[in-house]
Amino acid sequence: MTAPDQNDPAVRKGQEDRLRATWAPPMGLFLRWTDTNNNRVGNWYTATAFGFMLFAGLLALLIRAQLAVPDNDLVSASTFNQLFTLHGSMMMFLFAVPMFEAVSILILPQLLGARDLPFPRLSAFGYWSFLIGGVFVSGSIFFDAAPDGGWFMYPPLTTDPALSGLGADIWMLGLSFIEVSSIAAAVELIVGVLKCRPPGMRLNLMPLYAWYILVVAVMILFAFPPLIAGDILFEMERLLDWPFFDATRGGDPLLWQHLFWIFGHPEVYIVFLPSIAIFAMVVPTFARRHVVGYPWIVLAAVGTGFLSFGLWVHHMFATGLPNISLGFFSAASEAVAIPTAVQIFVFIATIWAGRVVWSTPMLYAAGSLAIFVIGGLTGVMVAVAPFDWQAHDTYFIVAHLHYVLIGGTVMPLFGGLYYYWPLVTGKKLSDRMGRTAFWMMFVGMNVTFLPMHWTGLMGMPRRVQTYQSSLGVDGLNLLSTVGAFLFAAGVAVLVADLFRSPWRPLARRNPWDAGTLEWTQKADSEDWGIRSVPLIESRYPIWDQPNFVRNIDEGRYFLPDAEEGRRESIITTVLDARPLQVIRLGGPSIKPMLAAVTLGGVFILTTYHLYWSALVSGVLALGVILWWLWTGTGEIPEKPEKPIGHGITVPLYASGPTAPGWWAMFITMTGDATAFASLIFGYFFFWTIHADFPPPPTPGLAGPGVFWPMMALGLILAGWALTILARETNARGGVGIARIALALGAAASIGGGLAALAGPWFSGLDPVLHVYPAIVWVLVIWVAAHAALSAIMQLYTLARSLFGRMDPVHDADVRNITVYQHFFALSAVITFPLIAFFPGVA
Amino acid sequence: MRSSSSVLTAAAGAGKTNVREQVECNGDPMTSDECARRTGGPNLERTLRLAALPVTLLLSGCAGVQSAMSPFGVEAAATARLTWVMVAGAVLISVAVAALVVRAVRAPEGSLSHSGGMSLILWAGAIGPTIILFGLLITALPMMRQLPVAPNDLTIAVGGEQFWWRVQYRPTGAPPVEDANLVRVPVGRTVRILLTSPDVIHSFWVPGLAGKVDMIPGRTNTLVVRATKAGTYRGQCTEFCGLAHAKMAFDVVAMEPRAFDAWLVQARTPTRLSSPAQAGALTPPLHPGPGLRRGTEGAAPSGQALYTSYGCAGCHAIRGAGGRIGPDLTLLPQRRSLAAATLPLNPATLAAFIRNPQSVKAGVLMPRFAEMSDAEARAIAAYLLEPK
Amino acid sequence: MIGGLNRRAARLKATLWTLAVPPTVWALHFLFCYVWAAVRCAKRGPTETIGDIRIGIAVATVVALIPIVASGYIAWAQSRTEGDPPPHNASTGPDRLRFIAYATLLLAGLSFVSVLFVAAPALVFTDCR
Repeated sequence: MTAPDQNDPAVRKGQEDRLRATWAPPMGLFLRWTDTNNNRVGNWYTATAFGFMLFAGLLALLIRAQLAVPDNDLVSASTFNQLFTLHGSMMMFLFAVPMFEAVSILILPQLLGARDLPFPRLSAFGYWSFLIGGVFVSGSIFFDAAPDGGWFMYPPLTTDPALSGLGADIWMLGLSFIEVSSIAAAVELIVGVLKCRPPGMRLNLMPLYAWYILVVAVMILFAFPPLIAGDILFEMERLLDWPFFDATRGGDPLLWQHLFWIFGHPEVYIVFLPSIAIFAMVVPTFARRHVVGYPWIVLAAVGTGFLSFGLWVHHMFATGLPNISLGFFSAASEAVAIPTAVQIFVFIATIWAGRVVWSTPMLYAAGSLAIFVIGGLTGVMVAVAPFDWQAHDTYFIVAHLHYVLIGGTVMPLFGGLYYYWPLVTGKKLSDRMGRTAFWMMFVGMNVTFLPMHWTGLMGMPRRVQTYQSSLGVDGLNLLSTVGAFLFAAGVAVLVADLFRSPWRPLARRNPWDAGTLEWTQKADSEDWGIRSVPLIESRYPIWDQPNFVRNIDEGRYFLPDAEEGRRESIITTVLDARPLQVIRLGGPSIKPMLAAVTLGGVFILTTYHLYWSALVSGVLALGVILWWLWTGTGEIPEKPEKPIGHGITVPLYASGPTAPGWWAMFITMTGDATAFASLIFGYFFFWTIHADFPPPPTPGLAGPGVFWPMMALGLILAGWALTILARETNARGGVGIARIALALGAAASIGGGLAALAGPWFSGLDPVLHVYPAIVWVLVIWVAAHAALSAIMQLYTLARSLFGRMDPVHDADVRNITVYQHFFALSAVITFPLIAFFPGVA
Repeated sequence: MRSSSSVLTAAAGAGKTNVREQVECNGDPMTSDECARRTGGPNLERTLRLAALPVTLLLSGCAGVQSAMSPFGVEAAATARLTWVMVAGAVLISVAVAALVVRAVRAPEGSLSHSGGMSLILWAGAIGPTIILFGLLITALPMMRQLPVAPNDLTIAVGGEQFWWRVQYRPTGAPPVEDANLVRVPVGRTVRILLTSPDVIHSFWVPGLAGKVDMIPGRTNTLVVRATKAGTYRGQCTEFCGLAHAKMAFDVVAMEPRAFDAWLVQARTPTRLSSPAQAGALTPPLHPGPGLRRGTEGAAPSGQALYTSYGCAGCHAIRGAGGRIGPDLTLLPQRRSLAAATLPLNPATLAAFIRNPQSVKAGVLMPRFAEMSDAEARAIAAYLLEPK
Repeated sequence: MIGGLNRRAARLKATLWTLAVPPTVWALHFLFCYVWAAVRCAKRGPTETIGDIRIGIAVATVVALIPIVASGYIAWAQSRTEGDPPPHNASTGPDRLRFIAYATLLLAGLSFVSVLFVAAPALVFTDCR
């Protein structure tokens, strides 16, 4: 086959027509919402998160209005508690994290010269989940049913049904649903960064944004699961009265605090690093040079990612833990300031070495850095435990966290909006309005929050509906309220600017003269993403590689065509980005939306204790997901390989560690294992705080014995071995044996799950009585649920084999479920010896 | 709602005359009102001016009754000193970074080579912060150590409950004294405060005395304090604990040691009017009828009789007699405020609170007494404000 | 020992996982300090002295610093592989190696310092209060 002549305009036109037809969005009032293209989904995602931010901001204005004067009764205490709970929860769960994911879904493919992310339908599923969960949680305030226990939801205030209503369930279940979608996005982004880079973009050439996204997505993978584990325990206590956090029955409210903050502190960096990532793109563009200290940024991102997991107890300094324990966290909290300082000096050095072109995005960058530095310095102050004992839960912390989050998340994001708006819409925003908005927000922000440091030290606690004049903080509070409205007015100017944008003229291509790959996009961009996937030889290819943009436009790089009318992108190796495979991407489909609706139904119906309806919804969700997988994944291509240009031919099918699907499974299971580890942490936590744990084996408290747990372990390990056998025999052509092994494996999984439940069932462990039976039950239920999932996977794979969708060469399904089996077997190996033998050892 | 606002107005009015909050005003002890008058009052203009110059603001004006920056205890004083040092350091670093940014922006292209930039990052971004932070860490860690405490030192057990404070003095070798919403500490002596909670998490914070410590169900936390300056201060719950979280405060009185000892003895000794025996004799009938409420021989019933007939003793104890659900009322006459330091204490506010506590402080456990007349409430209030 | 490290460096292998080695050691050290102190303190009175906890942390600190220094040394040796001066921003194998090595060296430095930070409380506190 000869290579097409890219010099021939007719050839190029043919390619473009085919690409355009392939990537054409679905039309129609409803069908347009079934699109999965990252441009569309990213736009919806970003707009939705932005809308939630505006709504949460309005709630904050109500809070400030109530606190403008002492002894105010503008809103009742009940409403006030809902306001601040929802403000915090929405800003964190419905704005900061989803916004980073939304922006990444939107621009990461452009940054990496990919046509789309590896799992477009997963992005769409994440978006619909986010929308449903977000509307469910935020809408509750209109029914006076919003959560009112604070965004941290400390039990027992929130677990006692007498003290907290439906709001607590709405928070737990609604946000758990969103956490699931966050993890889905994390999987997508990790695989995107590691496997979807353009040829030649070795690790040392990755855009800094991609480095940050990689780190942040991995952090999500380890930070969110502990919260999900906590949510499970929390809802078990609320719905079933299992006493995990009830001190009268052996529980401990502090376990929730640990699980929450193991999530909650990395969360701060999860929302901060992506914004710094935007700076890392903006600053070099306007300094007109390469970033100085590229490896230092990598150090900072990776270092922060690790250290941020050693800080969680600094939210618990006042809980009375031993001082030596507090000392470790105080020390780590100081240490994490080092990588943060490094990042700031990287930017200073870059600006210093370059020639600064002043612009609106640069103004936002400089302004937010100034704000962030103050937040960082007060952060160092509160990392000092004695000072924190005063500042904790006062307005000092309110000031500190808003300096960090406005300087480190909100304002950089607005800067990013001005920077990337031309990339997304083709039009520039107004510089004048942008500057006006900036100064209003900058001044408003400081007027609001600078006095709050003093308000807090003067003795005003957080989360108070009102305060007395005797504190001497009346004037400070009024000032903060004035500032808040000024800030809001600045946001209004910015929003007005966004709405004016459709009437503005198209900007020229690459309006900032940036050097990074995403700016190769044309102002009136096509849905196909990039015309041809380039060969990268520099960190700033537009600046450094001659004729770079023209070569892309003329299809002179890789994959310039869509001969088979399929949406495609290139998969490359992790380290050196050598082409490995052409991946066929999922096109528009209603299945992700249906999956989100049915899965959302499970969470929402459970909130209202409609368990049968929830079960039906759950079965439907399972059905939709299986239908989605069956029709959309592991497809056997019509030919084994195809040329992508320049004499390179790569396979169309991959399985095992070279395939994105395998990576997705591995990454998902890492998150799953983290949630499991959190439950195990719970078991040992209870052992630590009790003199006798397990308690004496009176009726209802006797352990699960040895027989059933060992039986379960044996069966599960058999299922694991049979799956490996199936993988190996299938690969050698022994399809029949593989099918038998899969069937037996499924039976073993089911048997293992039942045996797991049989232990505590036959010993009569009563989970309502004490926390020991409760935590044992949770562990076996966790394993049993995974056993059920394991059986479904094995039967699914068996069906794939029977229906000819899997054969000895095309064996991605069995390879992927084997990854699941490894993790599942590991959880069994930990759980059953623990519940069987640890009581004797302890 | 009407009763609510009238009570609030009464409270606000009473606050001007009845609550004598000793605050320190530029060194002179005086009431907060006097202080406000002398310094021109906390009006907006002044605050705006001061907020523009935060440092000026920090150095002037009225020191609050609840301020971490006007300490009256050893721990709070040490922390306040540390705070000033850190604030100074933070201001210095912010200014230095800002100056460096200005310098960097103005510098012509190429005035910093690649290796020069790397050195800047290494020294200013990594090594410098490491040294400063390590210095701060080893300075601050020893400050976390608890004050040394001897077995004979006074123990005060404080329970945080929705939404008030149960306070029990446990002197060695003497019976305990129970009070609520007011903590007295002797100046110059080390005091061990045991912190617990029977319901949800609260946090015990007296900013002028020491940092806060949480009160967690199922756990007992210990805070060791030593007051250094006599006076009246205020503490507040700092862990969000429900509907009336904002109205869960308490008064703190630091007393000269001898006065404290005398008070402890006096608090234990019943006054003539109501001994435990008498209180016991007044154990209420299960269903108080209207006849009892009218009193005997047509005379207006006494406050004490009304207290009994309305069943107040079901939740409140006086001199050991009565329930323990609500605050002990024995020492109520000596308290400085009402409803966990959220209202001034006088017959009017007390009577209003007794009739309809929810309207004053939404979320309290105490029910509303719809059928109680204002006169009856005033009679009960008068009785409660007599020494017991 | 240095010879062994040099041989490792000479193999010129570095992956994404290499980057994670020093901070992972930090994380394990941190986890050990926290769990060790928490369990020991929970299982006895708050006022008892904790000599064993402090010795445990001292040993753990030394044990943790060894792999951090070793990976830092290997990274340092690899970052000096022959080739262009920094910045290592060409799309070549050696530049990719030098970049990973240099970033690993920096992470080793940060991890080294952070381990010392986390160990500092053991110098200060003598009981479980």
